Amino acid sequence: MSTLTRTPRPAQTLRTKKPLRVGAVAKNVTAIVLALVFVFPVYWMFSSSLKPQSEILTKDPVFLFSPTTENYTTATGVDLFWTYVTNSLLVTVGAVLLALVVALAASFAIARMRFKGRKGLVLTVMMAQMAPWEVMVIAMYMIARDGDMLNSIPLLTLIYFVMVLPFTIWTLRGFIAAVPVELEEAAQIDGCTRGQAFRKVIFPLLAPGLMSTSLFGFITAWNEFAMVLVLNKDKEAQTLTLWLTQFQTAFGSDWGATMAASTLFALPVLIVFVFLQRRAVGGMTAGAVKG
Amino acid sequence: MKRKLIAAIGVAGMMVGIAACGSEDGKGGTDASGNKTLTVWVMDGSAPDAWMAEVNKEFEAKHKGVKVKVEKQQWNGIQERVTTALSEDTPPDVLELGNTQTAGYAATGGLADLTGDKAKLGHDGWNKGMLASNELDGKLYSAPWYAASRVVVYDKTAFKKAGVTPPKTRQEWIDGLKKLKASDPKTQPIYLPGQSWYVYAGFVWDEGSDLAVKDGDKWKGNLSSPQAAAAMNFYKELQSYSTAPKDKDEATPQQSTDIVPKGGVASWVGLGWEAGGAIDAMKKAGKTADFGYFPIPGKTADKPGSVFFGGSNLAIAERSKNKDLAKEWLALAAGKQQMTAYAKATEGGLLPNTDAAQFKPAAGSFAEAMAKASSVGKITPVTPGWANVETAPNPIKDYMTKVLKGEDPKKAGEAADKVITERVNQQ
Amino acid sequence: MTVDSQGTATAAPVDAPGRAAGKSKTPPPPSGPKEVLQPPRGRRSLPGGLLPYLLVAPALLSMAVLLLYPLIRNVVLSFQQVNKREMITRETVWIGFENYTKLLGDADFWGVVVRSVGFTAANVALIMLLGTLIGLLLNRLGKKMRLVLSLALMFAWAMPIVASVTVFRWLFDEQFGVVNWLMRTLGFAGYEQHNWFETGFSTLVIVMILLVWGSIPFVALNMYAGLTTVGTELYEAARMDGASGWRTFWSVVFPNLKPFFMITTFLEVIWIFKAFAQVYAMNLGGPDRGSETLPVYAYIEGLGQQHYGLAAAISILTILMLIAAMSFYFRLILKQEDES
Repeated sequence: MSTLTRTPRPAQTLRTKKPLRVGAVAKNVTAIVLALVFVFPVYWMFSSSLKPQSEILTKDPVFLFSPTTENYTTATGVDLFWTYVTNSLLVTVGAVLLALVVALAASFAIARMRFKGRKGLVLTVMMAQMAPWEVMVIAMYMIARDGDMLNSIPLLTLIYFVMVLPFTIWTLRGFIAAVPVELEEAAQIDGCTRGQAFRKVIFPLLAPGLMSTSLFGFITAWNEFAMVLVLNKDKEAQTLTLWLTQFQTAFGSDWGATMAASTLFALPVLIVFVFLQRRAVGGMTAGAVKG
Repeated sequence: MKRKLIAAIGVAGMMVGIAACGSEDGKGGTDASGNKTLTVWVMDGSAPDAWMAEVNKEFEAKHKGVKVKVEKQQWNGIQERVTTALSEDTPPDVLELGNTQTAGYAATGGLADLTGDKAKLGHDGWNKGMLASNELDGKLYSAPWYAASRVVVYDKTAFKKAGVTPPKTRQEWIDGLKKLKASDPKTQPIYLPGQSWYVYAGFVWDEGSDLAVKDGDKWKGNLSSPQAAAAMNFYKELQSYSTAPKDKDEATPQQSTDIVPKGGVASWVGLGWEAGGAIDAMKKAGKTADFGYFPIPGKTADKPGSVFFGGSNLAIAERSKNKDLAKEWLALAAGKQQMTAYAKATEGGLLPNTDAAQFKPAAGSFAEAMAKASSVGKITPVTPGWANVETAPNPIKDYMTKVLKGEDPKKAGEAADKVITERVNQQ
Repeated sequence: MTVDSQGTATAAPVDAPGRAAGKSKTPPPPSGPKEVLQPPRGRRSLPGGLLPYLLVAPALLSMAVLLLYPLIRNVVLSFQQVNKREMITRETVWIGFENYTKLLGDADFWGVVVRSVGFTAANVALIMLLGTLIGLLLNRLGKKMRLVLSLALMFAWAMPIVASVTVFRWLFDEQFGVVNWLMRTLGFAGYEQHNWFETGFSTLVIVMILLVWGSIPFVALNMYAGLTTVGTELYEAARMDGASGWRTFWSVVFPNLKPFFMITTFLEVIWIFKAFAQVYAMNLGGPDRGSETLPVYAYIEGLGQQHYGLAAAISILTILMLIAAMSFYFRLILKQEDES
């Protein structure tokens, strides 16, 4: 993977040595500055979550403080905290799994088969990607209300599933197309059925694709706010995104608790990311052999 | 469409495991064993928990098999939530509504008509000033619950150091601020953000005018009037003693918890819970609050300045499945006995709906200053469209910022009136 | 309401490997898809003609029920007057095109449209430019530095929107802002209480910083992942020819990653155009309505004032505008479909 960084070097060494070093230093300095810029707001969220309330908003920012876990206690101590956690996980995982299964079938057809209406389908998927979910909230609300389906976790799961479906189809299609047809054919010549060929040959090669699309789906569903706010007024059916905002009230905002909650809220995404990213990129480079 | 959605679930096929989670309990009124649930929506911060628990205990003892479920709501985004809730088949049975918003909901037909229950609810004992917002076209749609108004909260130490005593007139007020500024340049004599529009409304009323006035059977904005300009000029003079942002209101950042506790503020205008919040926040930070309170001074010493009478009413949803029970609950919670307990629980920081339940405030307390001002409490125009005016972006706030930044009050007022007139006449 | 858009906007940094790989790495399958459908195997699977339809049926069906149907409801709503009263009474009041004529005849609406388009264009251009540069930088860094930078990007990307908007508001706050403090500390005058949200334009600039900050990780990480799929031989060949870095980019990297640029730009345009929470929460569309973009306008005029029919009409117009703006893209992508 680092071939690119290596390649230019010999070429440049032939010329002069100094510019190279300056170049390398400049590169690293830029990288560090950029890293700081990107991390600073995150750091500010995290450090604020450890500050006592009186040190969060100050004329001169407080960099040194004695950390407190008080905000975390407040954040996780709210009523129904574990209900929100359970709901968020159910909705997110349910939507992602559902999307993967449905999208796998559809994207296989799109990538590997010629059929009438295929182009129309591609166009549909792209248009679906543009769906303005936020403004459809009221229409969705009226449908759910008239169908007596408010405060329903299954409905929310299904909505999130359709929210992430177009992107999942789109992405998986690319991954499937990347698997050489010859591999599949070889398997079929060896006596596999088409289904077996898919399971034994294509599916393993798709691992990185499945990982990365799950990640996308996870983030979308995990962060969704507008739908759950309007559809699920019953606290028992609400998710963690609503928990995040509950510390900001008209009677004063508990910024420490908000930031503590946000930090906790970001953790699963980070964990999923680190986990999937390694697998995905690893799988990707492994897959490079096939090229 | 119900079928279609169910079909979709069938297609999905995977949801069986979690289908059980879409709970419906507590909303439908009656469960399998015949027990009833009465759902009550109150705003966060309105009712002390202990008082609420006491009311419900008494209610549940009187009505066997009934459980009261209290759901706290945030003011943020409340209008949309109330609208959708009132449209549902199983809405909350009782809801707290802001007094500036009640008329708007009364006009939609979403609230139960309580005209026939006046006697039971104790209509005759209600504070007349608080009653107005509960009625529309001669009918009663809710019961007044509580009201509150703003007073000036000041730091006794800072005032003492500058040799300033609580003012009785506007002139004394300004003179005091001048002295405060001279005595400690690092402290702002008053923290007054540019968009504290409830404070401004009081000044408009002091001029004998209003934010919007009747024009035939319609309403029209009145900020381009000379009275509104006079009020704004006084606000501007006051605001010049503050370094608070000109384009923010008192809640961004929250003056009581984010500004005052940090020090450097000699006085500010706030509500009872704000003063309490500031005291708590200072305690947490290891400081002690030494607050005094005085009503907003009027033009002359004989009468304090007019103030906005913020407050809440309790209404019953028209679609409620338990209207009779809801009325019983309302009569109990808003009745004299419980209101007396309520006034006591809030230590007079919130005025109860009847003078008979009034709590005798301690000398020098916030409640005492507020009680002095309650004789001049007023509310925004009682018309269904007023609630629209208050939604963001609030034209009154934009008007204030513009004038504070130097625009001509008349010109800024005309722009604001255009928006106010349009919104106030909408349903 | 679009609190999720940032999450999505910064999502899935790793999808590009697949996409890029799918497009750029696989030698164009000589006649791949057709061969799959060759008759001999038809006997074992379902009738060849039916199978693809069966495979796409669940996806189509669920989109029809949960996306198309609400969308149709939305269109229907846009021809009705649905205010507070109608919402509560569930009355149906048809008003024909009134919502549309009201909007289309309103100068404010058109002002917002122009502002939104400009805002989106500026954002997407910046995001694509900086994202690409950072992606290229990632590719040229040593292993350790690359890890540091990608971790930083990941952190930014995982931060919830509620938190990021709040933190950005703090950073640029008039009284307590870290940025004002920094300017003061660096010795600049006039930052005692500088108001970064003085005008609609300055507010939008701050929103832009937030959006660009939040969107770059998606582009940069994708870009980097895509770059690793560009064969090193190609670079070497270009080097041998003595091509400059600039020319290498245009002659080697860009053509190979064209699908990546196309899709990413497409997604960013959609996400930025639809971004709501970041714009609204920063300054509520103020001062004096100066920082309202289309979704914020829809919220304020439609949902805030409880004119749900009007909100539906705005959303329909928004979709039509997006489709019109994107039709060029659709054509490009469909063309690409033909080629593959």
